[in-house]
Amino acid sequence: MLFIMPVVLIVISSLMQEFGWSSLTKDPSVSVLFVDNDQDSLGLKIKNGFKGSESFFVIDSLNHRPITAEVAKNAVKKGEYLIAIVVPKNATSTMRANVRLSVAKTLAGFGMGDPLLVNGMSFRDSVDVVVYFDPTVKKTFKNALMSSVRENYYKFQTDWVFKTFNQEIALQMPMYHPPKEAFKEVLSFKEVFPSYRVVELIPNATQHNVPAWTIFAMFFIVIPLTQSLIQEREGGSLFRLLTMPVPYMTLLMGKVGVYLMVCMVQTVAMLVAGILLLPLFELPMLVLGNDILGLFVMTLVVAMASVGYGLMIGTIAKTHQQAASFGSISVIILAAMGGLWVPIYLMPPFMRSMSLISPLNWAITGYYSIFLRGGGLMQIAPQAIKLLIFFASTITITAVYQKIKRPLN
Amino acid sequence: MSQQPIIEIRELTKIYKGAEEPAVNAISLDIFPNEIFGLLGPNGAGKTTTISILCGLFPATSGSVMIDGIDSHTNLEKIKQIIGVVPQDIALYPTLTGRENLAFFGNMYGLYGSELRDKINQYLAEFGLEKHANKMVSKYSGGMKRRVNLIAGLLHDPKIIFLDEPTVGIDVQSRLVILEYLKEINKKGVTIIYTSHYMEEAEHLCHRVAIIDRGNIISLGKPKELLEGHPEFKNLENVFIHLTGKDMRD
Repeated sequence: MLFIMPVVLIVISSLMQEFGWSSLTKDPSVSVLFVDNDQDSLGLKIKNGFKGSESFFVIDSLNHRPITAEVAKNAVKKGEYLIAIVVPKNATSTMRANVRLSVAKTLAGFGMGDPLLVNGMSFRDSVDVVVYFDPTVKKTFKNALMSSVRENYYKFQTDWVFKTFNQEIALQMPMYHPPKEAFKEVLSFKEVFPSYRVVELIPNATQHNVPAWTIFAMFFIVIPLTQSLIQEREGGSLFRLLTMPVPYMTLLMGKVGVYLMVCMVQTVAMLVAGILLLPLFELPMLVLGNDILGLFVMTLVVAMASVGYGLMIGTIAKTHQQAASFGSISVIILAAMGGLWVPIYLMPPFMRSMSLISPLNWAITGYYSIFLRGGGLMQIAPQAIKLLIFFASTITITAVYQKIKRPLN
Repeated sequence: MSQQPIIEIRELTKIYKGAEEPAVNAISLDIFPNEIFGLLGPNGAGKTTTISILCGLFPATSGSVMIDGIDSHTNLEKIKQIIGVVPQDIALYPTLTGRENLAFFGNMYGLYGSELRDKINQYLAEFGLEKHANKMVSKYSGGMKRRVNLIAGLLHDPKIIFLDEPTVGIDVQSRLVILEYLKEINKKGVTIIYTSHYMEEAEHLCHRVAIIDRGNIISLGKPKELLEGHPEFKNLENVFIHLTGKDMRD
């Protein structure tokens, strides 16, 4: 179970996360109800923009009937669809009228047209494109969708402004021949992920999830480890061991050795799952990074920290229940604090500073240095040292507590 | 019996933190080589505390212990090499087999390889456990567990064995095997310190007994001497009840 469950966890969480990412990037898995009351260029442009983005599956009719605004609203209200977009009637004509007026007013300033007539005219009231969201939709997803809608609108409006300018200038100046290519975008955006590697590592759900869940699984060694310690104590085996000519620290290190091996095997299983198993689910394959030695060292110190933590909890806890509940909940808290689930940069300032004291944060920062930044031993050194100090502290606390508080049982 | 004690206890006192009364109250006692010595007393009398101090599990509040001429304050590790401990609980790993348990504890005593293997096989045979050696201890009966529990304390051929209630809760046959074996190794020169609630068992097994109550030794001597000191009672159990009272203890 120690090896199978974390692998299952990695597969499921990567699938879920990849689905979340891909819904915004490549796989049209989110259905959007589209109500085009405009029936003109703008409505069509927004609709085609959604279709072209390949992020959404656009539905504009249900049961072979065009969707009305009311039907769309009710469908979202009932939770049947996450999103519905209603482009209002006359959206295109309103935009065109306002653009034309804006252009006319600008040209009037250059003495083209009648300024008195043009300046006396007023813009039409703006029309609202209504977007219905299911209340369960996450804010980030909502923002991404709204950005997509706005981008399509602004692009269309910019095109239309140029087109109108050219038309109006041509009307005023018959000699003017509009250029075939009215405008070329100056800026294009290229995403680059700086890396210590020659070939950059592209972040994806696998590169994020495998290290995160590996750390989580390693720290969950707390549960079997504490149960074993308490069972040993309650069963009398510790009593017997303490009467034997073996120093307590040797016994402790024996346990560290055994559970380190378990953690290492667990990690290998999870990395192999990332490399071999995840691609079977059409997920990206895990790229191990630049430095296998760095990866080994990082895994070793994370394992040491988790085993040390388990030994400390198991020695201090009085009962199985106490150890199981405190052990598991504390690991979940440290994981949440450490940024295993929510990135630290999304946390409020207080939580951000708290996260720096979580050993799971040191662990994930070190692993990300390897898996996402292509770093090696030098880059993981600060985190590795912190984890080693944490391990030494937990072992010291364990030994002192055993000697002072729990010499007999 | 030699006149030079193998265990010398002087003014041994243990007061647990927060306790109103000492668990062990300035007891002094000599135990001689090749003796089977019974430490008898009701629950909470101080037997386990005394044995725990003798085994080096924790220090006494005051007093001294010398084992085989070694001061427990100065060379506890050496003492641990010559003693064997059989705890009251079944101090075994239930998910390991009997053989694996014995191999593990043998390793802890520094036994390895063929020497350890031979010893394990010998003990398993003597205690009638060969057929079950490769079964998980969790599948064993109470008597089988007790026998393995005892073997684990004998593997390294200790000079002194501490047995805390070694026959509690087992069938008559297993009890007989254990007691016979204790007599046998005692004949070979092993000193046995033994606690029990079974007075009849102690009466027949022990050369001398100390009855301990509320941290004090209230009677010490050969079972026969204790009975002679209380001619109104027929057996040691009655003497014990007379000395410690009929009140139930926690």
